[in-house]
Amino acid sequence: MNRRLFLQSSAALAAQSLPWNYARAAAGWRTFETTTRVEISDAFGVARAWVPMPLEADNDWQKTIGNSWSGNARTARIVHDGKYGMALLYVEWPEKEMNPVVEVTSRFMTRDRAVDFSRPAEIDLSAAEREFFTAPTELIPTDGIVRKTALDITKGAKSDVEKARAIYEWIVDNTFRDPKTRGCGVGDVKSLLESGNLGGKCADLNALYVGLARSVGVPARDVYGVRVAPSKYGYKSLGVGTANVTKAQHCRAEFFARGFGWVPVDPADVRKVVLEEPPGNLAVKDEKVVAARTRLFGSWEMNWLAYNTAHDVQLPNATKAPKKPFLMYVNAECDGEMRDELEPDSVKYTITARELSV
Amino acid sequence: MLRLLWTLLVAVPLAAGAAELKPWSGGPTPALELEDLAGQVHRLADYRGKVVLVNFWATWCEPCRAEMPSIDGLRSSLDGKPFQVLAVNLAEPLSRIEKFAGTMPLHFPLLRDRDGAVAKAWRARLLPASFLIGRDGRIRYVAYGELDWTSEPVRSVVDQLLREEAPGQRRAARDAPPPAQKAPAARAAPSSAADRTRRHA
Repeated sequence: MNRRLFLQSSAALAAQSLPWNYARAAAGWRTFETTTRVEISDAFGVARAWVPMPLEADNDWQKTIGNSWSGNARTARIVHDGKYGMALLYVEWPEKEMNPVVEVTSRFMTRDRAVDFSRPAEIDLSAAEREFFTAPTELIPTDGIVRKTALDITKGAKSDVEKARAIYEWIVDNTFRDPKTRGCGVGDVKSLLESGNLGGKCADLNALYVGLARSVGVPARDVYGVRVAPSKYGYKSLGVGTANVTKAQHCRAEFFARGFGWVPVDPADVRKVVLEEPPGNLAVKDEKVVAARTRLFGSWEMNWLAYNTAHDVQLPNATKAPKKPFLMYVNAECDGEMRDELEPDSVKYTITARELSV
Repeated sequence: MLRLLWTLLVAVPLAAGAAELKPWSGGPTPALELEDLAGQVHRLADYRGKVVLVNFWATWCEPCRAEMPSIDGLRSSLDGKPFQVLAVNLAEPLSRIEKFAGTMPLHFPLLRDRDGAVAKAWRARLLPASFLIGRDGRIRYVAYGELDWTSEPVRSVVDQLLREEAPGQRRAARDAPPPAQKAPAARAAPSSAADRTRRHA
């Protein structure tokens, strides 16, 4: 046996005998834990909460190890959205419980992902999947002004990658991050285009990306989640600096390209670098922006936990909640009344995150 | 009819602030074949004829740790009866499990689901996830969350499962001695498995 073969065999055997987490770490995986604590203040009547959970299906860049819950709830169970396969924790407290509280812990592994456009492979969606990921949602129509705008943007582009690239560059050049936007925005794409005011946050700008892509036949989807760690690339604006990540929700986007699969993009984060990266209000030609712009077409730094890709979410067992455009925050209701998901005093919750050594 | 009655009885909350033990409606029972901390293989099929509590847990799961003493309490109270606990750890290093076991004497096997594949097959997405297996080898009840396994409602469910006939048990034997003693030795866990259980005490 030559030395190289011996080393390869030894490495393979070592990997087999290593505990799962150690073996994964060797392949670039990082392990994190998030803890979401929800308290419903001034509770009366039956209380319910809906807590986003990590992506249930493992993939090449995120794997769920497990989840646990504790608290004084009567019921806590993982439920699924039938259309998108989204998992969420449904929690219910009886009427007599005056101080509803639940704490949810999730352990998961992530690793950075990047698409190598020089190495195409035999990857494609089925016709049904292609139809699904080019379909409109309630706030992301694919006709009218959305399609017209996308056709203008992609004029001359032939492949899905070329179209997706053209839309990405257009988003970066024509939108801006509006710090006054509540939460992460709502993702009302048609209103955004009709208003001519292309300001918003991630759920607006990346939903716009998804809508424009879908309208010209490029399968695309939003991916909702939360940042859990600092950026190792030195971007203060693209990570979290504390263990408290309660307000670090972030939406990203993907498009599907034949031969390459799902391609990660994040034009909204390029605009975040422009606005927030110190010293702030950077020029688009600033080298930090240019570097982020280059990197965020085709790669994601996985200092972020993906929750789901769902749109038009109907909260299970909710008394009278309208469909939500997406589920990225903790939601709760008391005695049939929804609490404001963005109002900390009505639904008090904290999310903490930490990286674990394996 | 009796089974339906039991189903209705236990579908209510077992205690304020606790998880619920609910009748299982999730389909066939997945296979379970895992090593314990000493490397001995345990198969669920080996315990056919016994009521088995399969408990998925992790050291980082606070409610999992919290309910462990009550699981051991239940096991202890059923000593001599055809009842077995299999506690499946979710993808943690051996050293971490051993350290935990050193702090809490437990008298049942701690099994290692090294890559989480068994937990996924059992849809144990929310820890602690506990499955009560009937003497026929089928999942009968499930609970996601912490339970007081020594509480009366839980004990009633377990006792009811213990009273059921083990597979192949003759009908004529139904009226003879206490239900717990009815499981034929041949269908109980092999003695070697029982020995292995003790080794993890």
